[in-house]
Amino acid sequence: MLDLIPLCALGATTPQEFRQGALTLTEMPETGLVSLTLQRGAARPALDLPEPGFWAAGAGHAAFWTGPGQWFIELPGRAQEDPIPFLAPQAPGCSLTEQTDGWVLFELQSSQGAEAIEAFLEHAVNLDLCKMGPGRATRSVIEHMGVYLLRRSDDRLAIWGMRSAAESLWHALTTLARRQSARG
Amino acid sequence: MTRLTGGLIDRSQSLSFTFDGTRYTGHPGDTLASALLANGVRLVGRSFKYHRPRGIVAAGSEEPNAMVTLREGARAEPNTRATMAELFDGLSARSQNHVGPLSFDMLAVNDLLSPFFAAGFYYKTFMWPRAFWEKLYEPAIRRAAGLGALSEQADPDAYDRGFLHCDLLIIGAGAAGLTAALTAGRAGARVVLADEDFRLGGRLMAESDLLDHAPATQWIASVEAELRALPNVRILPRTTVFGAYDHGIYGAVERVADHLPTPGTLVRQTLWRITAKRAVLAAGATERHIPFADNDRPGVMLAGAMRAYANRWATAPGTKGPVAIFTNNDDGHRTAVDLMAKGVPIAAVIDARARSEAQGDYRVIAGGMVTGTRGRLGLRSIAVQHSGGSESLSVGALGVSGGWNPNVHLASHHRGRPVWDEARLAFLPGQGGPGGLIAAGACAGQGSTVDALADGHRAAVQALADLGLTAPALALPHAHPRAENTAPIWHVPGKRRAWVDFQNDVTVKDIALAHQENMRPVEHLKRWTTLGMATDQGKTANVTALAVMAELTGKSIPQTGTTIFRPPYTGVSLGVLGGGDTGTNFRPRRLTPTHTWAKAQGAVFVEVGPWMRAQYFVRPGETYWRQSVDREVLAVRSGVGLCDVTTLGKIDVQGADAGLFLDRVYANAMASLKVGMVRYGLMLREDGTLYDDGTCARLAEDHYVVTTTTANAGPVYAQMEFARQCLWPDLDVQLISTTDAWAQIAVAGPKARALLERVVDGFDLSNEAFPFMACAPLTVCGGTRARLFRISFSGELAYELAVPARYGNALMARLMELGADLGATPYGTEALGVMRIEKGHAAGAELTGQTTAQMLGLGKMVSKKKDAIGAVMSRRGGLGDDSRRLVGLVPLDASHTVTPGAHLFTAGAHPSMDSDQGWVTSAAYSPHVGSSIGLAFLERGDERMGEVITAANPLQGQSVAVKVVSAHFVDPEGGRLRA
Repeated sequence: MLDLIPLCALGATTPQEFRQGALTLTEMPETGLVSLTLQRGAARPALDLPEPGFWAAGAGHAAFWTGPGQWFIELPGRAQEDPIPFLAPQAPGCSLTEQTDGWVLFELQSSQGAEAIEAFLEHAVNLDLCKMGPGRATRSVIEHMGVYLLRRSDDRLAIWGMRSAAESLWHALTTLARRQSARG
Repeated sequence: MTRLTGGLIDRSQSLSFTFDGTRYTGHPGDTLASALLANGVRLVGRSFKYHRPRGIVAAGSEEPNAMVTLREGARAEPNTRATMAELFDGLSARSQNHVGPLSFDMLAVNDLLSPFFAAGFYYKTFMWPRAFWEKLYEPAIRRAAGLGALSEQADPDAYDRGFLHCDLLIIGAGAAGLTAALTAGRAGARVVLADEDFRLGGRLMAESDLLDHAPATQWIASVEAELRALPNVRILPRTTVFGAYDHGIYGAVERVADHLPTPGTLVRQTLWRITAKRAVLAAGATERHIPFADNDRPGVMLAGAMRAYANRWATAPGTKGPVAIFTNNDDGHRTAVDLMAKGVPIAAVIDARARSEAQGDYRVIAGGMVTGTRGRLGLRSIAVQHSGGSESLSVGALGVSGGWNPNVHLASHHRGRPVWDEARLAFLPGQGGPGGLIAAGACAGQGSTVDALADGHRAAVQALADLGLTAPALALPHAHPRAENTAPIWHVPGKRRAWVDFQNDVTVKDIALAHQENMRPVEHLKRWTTLGMATDQGKTANVTALAVMAELTGKSIPQTGTTIFRPPYTGVSLGVLGGGDTGTNFRPRRLTPTHTWAKAQGAVFVEVGPWMRAQYFVRPGETYWRQSVDREVLAVRSGVGLCDVTTLGKIDVQGADAGLFLDRVYANAMASLKVGMVRYGLMLREDGTLYDDGTCARLAEDHYVVTTTTANAGPVYAQMEFARQCLWPDLDVQLISTTDAWAQIAVAGPKARALLERVVDGFDLSNEAFPFMACAPLTVCGGTRARLFRISFSGELAYELAVPARYGNALMARLMELGADLGATPYGTEALGVMRIEKGHAAGAELTGQTTAQMLGLGKMVSKKKDAIGAVMSRRGGLGDDSRRLVGLVPLDASHTVTPGAHLFTAGAHPSMDSDQGWVTSAAYSPHVGSSIGLAFLERGDERMGEVITAANPLQGQSVAVKVVSAHFVDPEGGRLRA
């Protein structure tokens, strides 16, 4: 147990949750994040590293493509620790950089399947939803804020945004959810 | 209230509304225009310039006259077309552009003075005296001429945006649009079908013709039901596609809640950005009128609109007498037939064509012309001239049909010039319009129902073929074939004014005047007369005006010019274009990790780009910002201060070639930096001027952390990525931003070490173990991982301590708590700025993009032993020879102020551009010096220490004698930093 009490990105000691209609938005402060970049000439490590536009879940981690030879590795439950010593043995030939607190993770859950998630995306991002099915991941912009969007499943979407802009992003996402609920 | 039989209104419900304070009723399905007509209201507004009484002319978005202010208070929206306002219970509308009652507008005097108000009058009339234009003429003209007025209150409603991607966007859901949608929908294409009306069907709803031997509404309903059942089809009613943009992107506004009394929890409108692989433009056509003398009286309407009001809205166009039709084509007769079928008496059909036959039991005046009208506030009679002489007919309304103009607007948005079709007497979409846009139906000249149904299918088949999809066969409904047989009769010659553009009060005479003044090209014609401007953009006027000008010039219409359109198709509110939020959330804000703590401490925040930074912390008893700032500065210099510096950019640089890479990015050497040390670095632009400065720390052989200024965090990262990917892809370098990942707190002041010793976990902070410019990973507060940098912006013994951002808030609180006895004081950006000026450190005010390293006295940092971005260019003639240098300034009289931006002159010299010696870049009150101080770039500044010069601000008459001193007001030897 560390001496200093951490704050979630939204400024409270406990994560925020927001429910509106079919949608539940949850702040996820316990997921660690590491950027993994292949060093010049290095072979791909034996991690589940997806192709561009996708994310993939592996054992204790998930990954999504962020650039040529570059992925972000999600480490659920490892946000409090230094993730590099954990990951480095599995990633020889890779440069690793802790990104956990560079970002904030919001998970959007739908109680009405894909329809509510896609209705949400339609007003949030300029993406062709045909290319945002389960397993897909991409970088986009919501209300002028850069985000990574990961379609975990039909009814679940993960949104990684800038930690410092977490409050603005939360406002934008909850506003979208409210408006969606009003549309019915 | 006068209602005919039939129509698409729900008579089981009544809706109450007011117009100019008078209460009326209508039904669901009505527009404000149809409800007003049903209530016998003909006079709905005053014209733009002459304040002539005006009535409803059209039945759609082309309406030029019936502009009203809808709703009250902050929601009042001027210039709303009554023809597009869907009726709701409680709707309130007001007429516009009159002084006094609508029926007795004082400014109608303008009509009597019309000879003075001809086209271009104000270009000539209000030339002298010049000063009168802004204060007298323009306000007076704006008062007298115009449309509605804004509420000048904040818009209480919300707007949002949305994004759609589809194979085929179909613009318009009339006959062509529906068959196109059905074809593409059945083929499995992703279809978006948008229509500005609240019901699908377009012109089919306005006609009495049967489809498959049944009312057209039955076919529309069956098609709509099938389309709604298809998961690949999206229907957007109340949605106007207003513009075609690059790469198949179309802009559309959905009026989500404009048909409701208030939006409630809904947004009022949504701005859709639709990305379509192909689009079918099925926007229909707009009927044109035939100008004749006094053709603008309430009661004179487009004949097709009359038919629409009768068939769709069960509204008789004239209640004060029978209806006459003036036409140059067969479509006008169709109106007469439909009206008669509804029991509306027809006085006559005046057909300008010499050969014309009645299509029903009504009088036809073949070869006739309407030459005038009577009726002060509404039409009472028309004058008709024909082969047998002239006569006057008492009528309640006159329908005018001059043929139909295809709505080519979107097809011409990429400068696709419409092409004149002599057979149809109309402009059709030409080549060069938006790629992938296929016109179909009436907007492609296929205006009859039979043709439109088939053409919609054809366009969809073409679009699907382009997309590699196979279109299924489509059984088109049987429709009655019709032809227009329009004759080229464009206006009725005469001496009185005949209106071409109702909205802008432009008459045939005005066009003749433009011709006389040699304003003959259509572009000149438009600007000289204002024809085709304002909200309707000449939908009912442009082609007619062109034809009149062609007649005057003796040329053909295509020789005279074409009419071309730009977005938007109809007016788009700024609210929906802006979208998003207002106030605090107008744009995203970035908060520092210690924001929560700072807020609780009474911090006053300042916007630094998107960041909200603590500017200073107000303590009890402090009533003026400088009291707080001076206190904070003195506290740092005498004890220890804490400042959140997270906003500085941080870039993690790794890889075997990281050092080499940074040598090329920085002007000074970085490969030689020892592990565990930090170096100040300069980056240059390609042109050799200074780009950014900051520190670079080496954490391991192959691992550096670069810091940038707050403002350049993004641009420097982007430039480094460009260099990595494009300039030197052969280097083994990996980059990633970590700006947000680490909370970084500056701990500055002579007691900084004493304070840090209380939080580090067994880390030796002694000067020997951790000297100035050292860096190291460590843990603090019992195990929190951290990074420590011994760097100083203030000139004091100082460190920057970084922890994962989530711990920043708690770390700040802990440092404050543990440092209470040391005088630990939080300080904000103001104190930070004061101290860096006192130390002579450059910041954004010095790094202007025109500053060189030499000017900062750092010329030697641009290494000649290696190449780096901008290094060679920094030595070019002119730039390398710049002799201005950074100096400090103090006023001779300590009570005087050094003003940032003031220019410097040799004492006694006349201040001018020629004698300019430099300028003050930054200034502040220095509690350390006890006076105002400044930093400045001064010609040969390094050679002029002690010289008294003048800092002048001629614009405000300021002139202060200042002494040139070293820019390092505090500890020029640097002893404090190394203590």
